[in-house]
Amino acid sequence: MRRIIADVLFRMRALFGTRAQRELDDELRFHLEMDAATLRARGMPAADAERLARRQFGSLRREAEQVRDAWGVSLANEFVADVRHALRQMRRRAGYTAIILLTLGLGIGATVALFSVVSDLLLKPLPYPEADRIHVFWSDYDWRGEEYDFVRQRPGVFQHLAAFSTNGAPYRPNTNGADGARLLPFVVATSTLFDVLGTRPMLGRPFDAAEDRPGAPPVIVISYGMWKTDLGGERRVIGHRIMLDGEPVTVVGVMPRGFYFPTPDIRAWRPLALDPKSPMYTSGYLTLIGRTGAGVPPALIESDVRRIARALGTRFTYPVAWDKTRNPYVLPVRTYLLGDVRDPLVLLLAAATLLLGIACANAASLILARTSDRGGEMAMRRALGAGQWRLARQVLAESLVLAAAAAVLGVAVATAGFRALVAVLPLAHGFAGTVAIGWATFASAFVLALLIALLGSAAPIRRLVGSGAAVSRERSEEGLRRGTRRIHGALIVSQVAFAVLLVVGATLLIRSVDNLRSVDMGFDPHGVSTFTLVTSDNMTQASETRFFDAVLARVSALPGVRAAGLTNRLALRDEGYQGPMGIEGRPDLDGKNRPNSLYRTVTPGLFAAMGMRVIDGRGIDSTDVMGSMPVTVISESFARRMWPGQSAIGKHIYSGWSGKMVALTVVGVARETRMTTVTGDLPFTMFVPRAQQATNSGGVLVVRSSTPPASLMPAVQRAIAEIDPQVAVARVETMDEVVAAALAEPLRLRFFLTVFAAIALVLGTIGVYGVVSYAASRRRAEFAIRMALGATPKRVLGEVVERGLVPVVGGVAIGIGAAVAVSGLLHRFLFGLGATDPVSLGAAAGVLTAAGVVAALVPAVRAGRTSPAEALRAD
Amino acid sequence: MSTSSADIIRGTADMLILKLLDVEPMHGWGIGQELERRSRAALRIQPGALYGALHRLVREGWVRSYWQTTENARRARYYALTRSGKRRLDVETETWHRLAGGVALILATR
Repeated sequence: MRRIIADVLFRMRALFGTRAQRELDDELRFHLEMDAATLRARGMPAADAERLARRQFGSLRREAEQVRDAWGVSLANEFVADVRHALRQMRRRAGYTAIILLTLGLGIGATVALFSVVSDLLLKPLPYPEADRIHVFWSDYDWRGEEYDFVRQRPGVFQHLAAFSTNGAPYRPNTNGADGARLLPFVVATSTLFDVLGTRPMLGRPFDAAEDRPGAPPVIVISYGMWKTDLGGERRVIGHRIMLDGEPVTVVGVMPRGFYFPTPDIRAWRPLALDPKSPMYTSGYLTLIGRTGAGVPPALIESDVRRIARALGTRFTYPVAWDKTRNPYVLPVRTYLLGDVRDPLVLLLAAATLLLGIACANAASLILARTSDRGGEMAMRRALGAGQWRLARQVLAESLVLAAAAAVLGVAVATAGFRALVAVLPLAHGFAGTVAIGWATFASAFVLALLIALLGSAAPIRRLVGSGAAVSRERSEEGLRRGTRRIHGALIVSQVAFAVLLVVGATLLIRSVDNLRSVDMGFDPHGVSTFTLVTSDNMTQASETRFFDAVLARVSALPGVRAAGLTNRLALRDEGYQGPMGIEGRPDLDGKNRPNSLYRTVTPGLFAAMGMRVIDGRGIDSTDVMGSMPVTVISESFARRMWPGQSAIGKHIYSGWSGKMVALTVVGVARETRMTTVTGDLPFTMFVPRAQQATNSGGVLVVRSSTPPASLMPAVQRAIAEIDPQVAVARVETMDEVVAAALAEPLRLRFFLTVFAAIALVLGTIGVYGVVSYAASRRRAEFAIRMALGATPKRVLGEVVERGLVPVVGGVAIGIGAAVAVSGLLHRFLFGLGATDPVSLGAAAGVLTAAGVVAALVPAVRAGRTSPAEALRAD
Repeated sequence: MSTSSADIIRGTADMLILKLLDVEPMHGWGIGQELERRSRAALRIQPGALYGALHRLVREGWVRSYWQTTENARRARYYALTRSGKRRLDVETETWHRLAGGVALILATR
């Protein structure tokens, strides 16, 4: 027992104390002095005595090492020593260390942050049991109530079917509360939705079939978040009544925490209560979702869906442009919910992986160069008896210390970059709130760093262990051994190839965004504020009209306001339904061939407020009211395509939008305006006077002002609240923000890819420079001799550059090839150019080659200046 | 100074050091001197081996060390036998005698 304690104590001391070592040194010095004193006592002169004693003793240091080795103080001790040594080395080579750390830190950070988003969004199970059995039908938000009832009777492989639609209405948490109304985003769904999702409320119950009927007392199931934040989070909430859309609605259930459908920003679920007698029954606004039985093969689902489509075709007639039966399919619910997110995520993950690849290659080549540099030191230590493994362990320790530091940096980068990254992704509808960075992320950063360290030190260690003696010989040889040169070459090639890929991607996106920016939107977004107003369904059309008239009058009178108008849907932000239109004088476009058009209701001031222009005829006027001639202003392309070569003014368009066919007279043509997307096709658009429409569905107030929107917004909101506090202002945005949001995805992707590419370029250049200058410095003696024998500096310079550039050119070629091969990945993010755009490919190749030349030129010039005498002395 | 003295047979150093320390605590240098003196210069130990052995013995718990001032007023690390070191010495001594006896018997063979 005592032995064990003594042993442990000794090891502890040896391990942790420099004290043990100091004591050993003191002890040995004492010994030496005693030897010398003895010799002196025998009559030897002091100096000689000392020298002899020292010779007999051997070098004090070696003695100490021998003793310490004999201690055999366990691997751990040596590891600590190795780490200390590594830290010393790092401190001595701050520049080199900084480069590796930055490289690895950025690579690890970016990859890990991206991976954690990917795992949260794409790999984490959805909050529905056996979600792989849930499928969403084609023709999103386009199913009619009558179609749902028809499909419901032919379920086939689907055990449960449901229809739903998203909606929003002003609400107050209490029936008696006087507090202002807010917008409640909710879903209306058939009672079968809970069966399809396979999830039940954690409190209370779902609404049932009896409550999912027209005229049933209104009930609602709320989200966990709404329960906690708005309703106090207490169990007695069941039976509580909230004010929704001007009527009391009873809470019957609270969904469990973490549940969302279809998006996390939806806070409640209400019965759809399909009513065959309502005009809504025959308009398309629903999404169909179904749960199949367990283990139904995809092929069977597919054929069943085709069967349903055929049946629909026999019961309903569809216009050609709108034929729902033509391409039936179902989407897995995960794709339906997160499909938009996948592509940019995969793209960014690929980019980050490339960056990590470059970082690894860079770190490996730096470590390799360092190890070769220290060949002399290593050989010396071997000669003094240090084992191969001892040296290998030291290289490994250095790499591990670097990796650990890089991992810490990577975690910092990942934590900082995570929010930015989440912001980059098109995670609308609250999905951003469902991702978080966690311990798994940090752990993976360390694992990744460890792997990189092991890979990075593999080559140097193999060299050390395989041929230790050769390391020292190499120093005096012509230059680098062929094997080393091959590894260096391969590292340059891969770094350059990766960098080319990233630079190509960044260039493509930069050019694409330029194209996007130069797109003519057809309106002027500067100085425009928008307010999305949600009115209560109980408001009659007359009272809503009165309300909006009052709002427009009040807002127009505000100081600085130049124009104010109202529309049902905001350009570039709100999607809209397209409906088939009958065209006068085009019998060829009748029946199933009717063209679809967007249908926008506007007030006379809207065009001025948006900065849109009428290029023919007149705009919507204040004389266009209910009872006067129904009119429309149509988009440029619509007019041109329908009546080529003639004026559209005075022609008629037949719209069945409000139930019965109405002939609208075209009184004006508007300059083309980007209504839905910046880049997509230009849908035909009709603008109709709001005053001629039967509508009470709220709208978007658009205000153009000479004062900054930020200073105007509170005044407008105050005015609205004063006129009717029951109306909810759901959203306030400047038009600039709307445009920015429409461009957000390509802009942010461009930002990230540009940053990645810039880092890649710098790293690639450093890598080439490092390797070339290292190789050149190895050959200094050779150059010196050759120049002494008459070689010109130019020749030496050329040789160095050439040797450096061969792998660069190889890397560029491979990179361009790879860029062409994976061009499909980028295609969907580009506008106005292809993913193999020769300008971008050429630019990337040029930039990388130029960087390679510069990187090789610096050491080459230095080599060309080698002074023969100096170089020979130096070795 | 003689350079022909045989280095200590590997494995016996521990026992000899223990034996010397059984007489009195000594510092490392003293042990080296004493070894040479008592063996009449037949045995020598290299400092590396000596201190290696000493530290090993400390680790085994057979010897303890402490710093003390010498007669010449210098600080030196002294080593002293522990009780388990004493037991160890007995075991080693017995083993050695048996071994040496065996070797002698074989060498006496005619």
